[in-house]
Amino acid sequence: MSTTTTAAPAAGLDRLVRRFRELLPEDSVITDPQRLRTYECDGLASYRVVPAVVVLPERTEQIREIVAACAEQEIPFVARGSGTGLSGGALPHAEGVLIVTSKLRRILEVDVANERAVVEPGVINLDVTGAAAPHGYYFAPDPSSQQVCSVGGNVAENSGGAHCLKYGFTTHHILGLEVVTPDGDVVELGGSAREAPGYDLLGTFVGSEGTLGVVTKITVRLLRKPEAVQTLLAGFPSTDDAGAAVSAIIGDGVTPAAVEMMDALSIEAAEQAVACGYPEGAGAVLVVELDGPEAEVEHTFDEVQRHCRAHGAFEIRVAADAHERAMIWKGRKSAFAAVGRISPDYIVQDGVIPRTALSEVLGDIARLSAESGVRVANVFHAGDGNLHPLVLFDGSEEGAEERAEEVSGKIVELCIEHGGSITGEHGVGADKVKYMGRMFTTDDLDTMQLVRCAYDPVGICNPGKVFPTPRLCGEVPGKRRGVHPLTEAGLADQF
Amino acid sequence: MTTISTAHEALQSTVGEARVRPGDAGDEVCGVRPSWVVSPADTAEVSAVLRATAEHGLTVVPTGSGSRLDWGAAPRSLDVLLDVSRLRGVVEHAAGDLVVVARAGTPLAEVRREVAKADQQLAIDQPLPTSTVGGLVATGCSGPGRHFFGGVRDLLIGITVVRADGTVTTSGGKVVKNVAGYDLGRLYTGSHGTLGVITEVVFRLHPLAAEHRWISTTCDSPRRAAEVVAELRHCQQMPTAIELDRPRPDGPIEVCAELEGRPKATHDRAERLAAQVGGGVRDTAPSWWGGYPFDTADSGLRLGVQPAELGDLLEFAERAAQDAGVPLALRGAAGLGVLEAGIPGDCPVPAFTSLLEALRGRAAYAVLLRGDADARAAVDPWGAQPPGVQALMNRVKDQFDPEHRLAPGRFVGGI
Amino acid sequence: MTETPARPGDPEGGSLHDADVLGAFDQHHPPQRALIDDCVHCGFCLPSCPTYDLWGEEMDSPRGRIYLMKEGLEGEPMTDAMVGHMDNCLGCMACVTACPSGVQYGTLINETRAQIERRHERGRWEKLLRTAIFTVFPYPRRLKAMRGPLALYQKARISKLLRRIGLLDKLPPHLRTMESLAPPISRAPKLGTRVPARGTRRATVGMITGCVQSAFFPDVNAATARILSAEGCDVVIPPSQGCCGALSEHSGREQEALGFAKALLDVFEQSDVDYVVINSAGCGSTLKEYPRLLADDPVYAPKAERFAAKVRDIAEVLTELGPVAERHRLPVTIAYHDACHLSHGQGIRSQPRELLRAIPGVELREINRGELCCGSAGIYNLLQPQAAQELGDRKAGNVLDTGASLLVTANPGCSMQIRTALERRGEALPMAHTVQVLDAAIRGADVQELLTDH
Repeated sequence: MSTTTTAAPAAGLDRLVRRFRELLPEDSVITDPQRLRTYECDGLASYRVVPAVVVLPERTEQIREIVAACAEQEIPFVARGSGTGLSGGALPHAEGVLIVTSKLRRILEVDVANERAVVEPGVINLDVTGAAAPHGYYFAPDPSSQQVCSVGGNVAENSGGAHCLKYGFTTHHILGLEVVTPDGDVVELGGSAREAPGYDLLGTFVGSEGTLGVVTKITVRLLRKPEAVQTLLAGFPSTDDAGAAVSAIIGDGVTPAAVEMMDALSIEAAEQAVACGYPEGAGAVLVVELDGPEAEVEHTFDEVQRHCRAHGAFEIRVAADAHERAMIWKGRKSAFAAVGRISPDYIVQDGVIPRTALSEVLGDIARLSAESGVRVANVFHAGDGNLHPLVLFDGSEEGAEERAEEVSGKIVELCIEHGGSITGEHGVGADKVKYMGRMFTTDDLDTMQLVRCAYDPVGICNPGKVFPTPRLCGEVPGKRRGVHPLTEAGLADQF
Repeated sequence: MTTISTAHEALQSTVGEARVRPGDAGDEVCGVRPSWVVSPADTAEVSAVLRATAEHGLTVVPTGSGSRLDWGAAPRSLDVLLDVSRLRGVVEHAAGDLVVVARAGTPLAEVRREVAKADQQLAIDQPLPTSTVGGLVATGCSGPGRHFFGGVRDLLIGITVVRADGTVTTSGGKVVKNVAGYDLGRLYTGSHGTLGVITEVVFRLHPLAAEHRWISTTCDSPRRAAEVVAELRHCQQMPTAIELDRPRPDGPIEVCAELEGRPKATHDRAERLAAQVGGGVRDTAPSWWGGYPFDTADSGLRLGVQPAELGDLLEFAERAAQDAGVPLALRGAAGLGVLEAGIPGDCPVPAFTSLLEALRGRAAYAVLLRGDADARAAVDPWGAQPPGVQALMNRVKDQFDPEHRLAPGRFVGGI
Repeated sequence: MTETPARPGDPEGGSLHDADVLGAFDQHHPPQRALIDDCVHCGFCLPSCPTYDLWGEEMDSPRGRIYLMKEGLEGEPMTDAMVGHMDNCLGCMACVTACPSGVQYGTLINETRAQIERRHERGRWEKLLRTAIFTVFPYPRRLKAMRGPLALYQKARISKLLRRIGLLDKLPPHLRTMESLAPPISRAPKLGTRVPARGTRRATVGMITGCVQSAFFPDVNAATARILSAEGCDVVIPPSQGCCGALSEHSGREQEALGFAKALLDVFEQSDVDYVVINSAGCGSTLKEYPRLLADDPVYAPKAERFAAKVRDIAEVLTELGPVAERHRLPVTIAYHDACHLSHGQGIRSQPRELLRAIPGVELREINRGELCCGSAGIYNLLQPQAAQELGDRKAGNVLDTGASLLVTANPGCSMQIRTALERRGEALPMAHTVQVLDAAIRGADVQELLTDH
């Protein structure tokens, strides 16, 4: 991918660092090896690369200068927000620059009349809601890491969260972006009024995992707080029972704001971490939240409880106030990190299957676990089939990590086999690159990279992420001879 | 050197003689007649056709039912009108997962009928009844319900497209939650056939509500209308749609919001909301609901502003229309700040031009969706983009269609 | 900042334990690998960390500091950079509260600081400053000796004079901070060595008088004794108490801390008490850690275990015993400030609030972002005046926003820090320790007593 020799990077980097020191205060340009190492990984600590230099701009204009300087030297750069990503999207490049946006955390504008806010990329997700709350509004995307993850990171990954069942993902809540393109230009995508003519460059940028440029300002959509919210926690004998309840609820035409499921092992972990007091002896719990106009919510909430009981719920707790609601959610939201209490090490997986295949796939996972001896705790967005299997292991045991990786990989395969996705929320990053070829054909990946070539022909913007084989951007697309292999196999019009 | 006969033969070899015919007056795209009309039956044939056009350097405009073929600018050249209406039918309706897969040439109405069998809806309203799902994605057009459900781009979760060189490619998938790879579905949405030919689409569905109600109030001034719209936007009743209709530039403005949900509960919500804004409750939509304020003889515009500037836009449009002496009709998604406008086809060009320019200066954008040849010749239908954005769009186009053979000249900035 | 390799004090056997060096650390209680491995790098600690809140840099976040410790264990030398980031840590342990994986950061940072004190050569000026601080603060008698001169300094308004002639601003930041932090001196009531229980005796408790508390906030000790007596406790106040060692322990001065700890254990071994009560948050936290501190000492380890089992913060013990003394009306709005070592360090949040709310007439208001340290952090505000000032300003702003008429907190350091921060913005707010409010309620005192600046 990189066209530079071993000698050139050093010289180019030196020039770059000198340029950075002209641009930024001393403490904001990091070259000290010990300090650099603290940035070598994001939330996925198994992938580590020490960057050549880390810069921490304090004004958004500085990002443009930083990128322009990198472009001039053709030196790769990677952007990082809070470093909580779970796919290694912010994994640095060893001969490149890591641009950290954590100092860019001002909320520039809260425009209630137009139901939007403008924020810098380092602003923490939950703080957007904090700023909007006094006006009766909130920012809908709610990843479990929302107290710490950055909105810039949310844009890069198209983050979801528990409430995306009803409210969609980050891409549904972005109205505009100011972006520095990899050649150092600043463009405004979207931002003025809805449904503007032209290609939807804004929508294409969200979820591009930092490969098309660096975001410097984000215009987010704010939603009116719902009139009523009702949350319940239900204990079931098994995940099958809970899954059947979910099917019944959805089949009844109800769209809950969120439906989350945890299995026995993950409940145990959460209990140890935050003492959430979930129903004892539950094989699975469901957290179901409904929101909207009061009359609607009241009506549907009764139906939801009925469905839960009809499918074996032995205990149902309804949150009486905001505090109790927070307590119900606490267990679910801390589940990932809490698993660290019942196992020295673990892998967080992220895959999607059609919701109707939930029971079958959970059964497959249980079988995988039993056969391999590797424990798997399951936490997931039951409403949309987004699984988060937590594959547990003890790194000090011989071969344990390999076995866990294997099980983790097989789960991803399961998702592909069932026509799902290799990632529902965490992104491809560095971690899932190896599976892209299983989910998409070479032509599909090639087509996506046409966009990448349009933005970053030189290949310096977060290189090595998302795509297994980088496309040479000077290439003219080959004229295809013969019929597409899928069509030839008689599978025309299928994915 | 490609001769017409070899090109013709090449096309015939892809779909058979019967489905290649010369273009006639009825096939014109903004006044440009295609040399041929080719009708493939499936994705493989679409791919073969496009390969043939690539080999012979032919320009192509895709079409479904042709309901919006007269939108946009005239093509610089048009060899093949690629009619995908034979790619028809719902491929799969996974009701339990609220997902539907349909071929691009399927009329929306057909898809809606199919999924309604399971009490579900594809939440796209359609002003033009014959529109196909592929066409809707290509033009990115939805109706009033997009206020709550999102537009076409928000409902599209997977798409199959054949590129200019015949490559068949998929993006997205069949599950709603999916962040693997770029969201090309959004890129294709509203691209008006300039990046590829859509052959299959996957949408997410929603439950079909049991009860619908509309709240309607007539306002005598833009100020009042904007106030009502703002109240509806900020309320907690989660309206499905907020629309307005002003058929005469200085006439009354009807503001109408839709609510949907459980029986009885929805009616109660509607009553409360109606009382709040001083309107009445209807159990059917007004006659103008979901339609454009222009028909095939008129010029049609789309105007966009930030929602809070709606009142200003209405006032401005009223004055500008009066100044120009043009009977401007306005209707559309007041809650989003996006309105369509209609100008009679017999409006003199200078008046039309000055009105459009005035609106373009005031609104964030004013697009000439459709108009007759004179109108199209007088103005740039799409309006100028900021230079950086246009450059990026050009680069994207260059990557997808380096020879600029797909709908050349039809789109923004002459793409 | 330049990087310099570690220069151990005396590599030829002069250091405590003649053991292998693992990169930055030696074998004598390095930060524990097992505790470091508990960290899963999730980053949930970042928003709760005051220095990350100030600077937004990974190295000055709990996650980053743990990473630096890990690097140190893996062979990286103890550089100025590494030490600097550890010194920047306030030790507030807000991260411990936030961490879903249960990482014992408090233990890790104390272990690291001890290693730094032993193995790292500080700059001359910094050494001087630390020596000065530790020559005075852990010695109640020396602090008390400062009362006279300080009172004179305050009465003669020397401070105002210095400020007017511009001399105050010319002082280096550390001295300026010290000058500003000095609390107003008032008359100190005599405490005595034994205060009997009123009414039925429910327990015998020993009381720790502390250093800064006894020298500059003697009212607090007096009030503590009175309340305990009112709630049926015989209060034993050993007169020859020294420092508990908290300041030393939190700064990594291990030997010094051990010395103070053993002395205090000896003092209290004489008295046979049910509980040992402390009214200072920072001290309480360390007292409960005596078993870990003295784990290596075969003689004192069991004493430490016995002692620690009896240690209670005053709010803790009062809640445990349950109230018997009547609380009279005190109409006052109170902003309650959680001292870090009480809330994050010992998990004591609800008890002080319950005690205050139980007083008729009291309205309790929560401080926005209450979990963020005020910047006092022991002697942090003397060593890192810049950062401490910013944090103090934030806290002062949030406190004023409550609109309360009285600020209540359980740590003398916090009181001084917040008072100074308020003064910087030309504001003042009456302050009291939780026990002073309770004491006033039990005595039936007028609320004005609390609201007049003392």
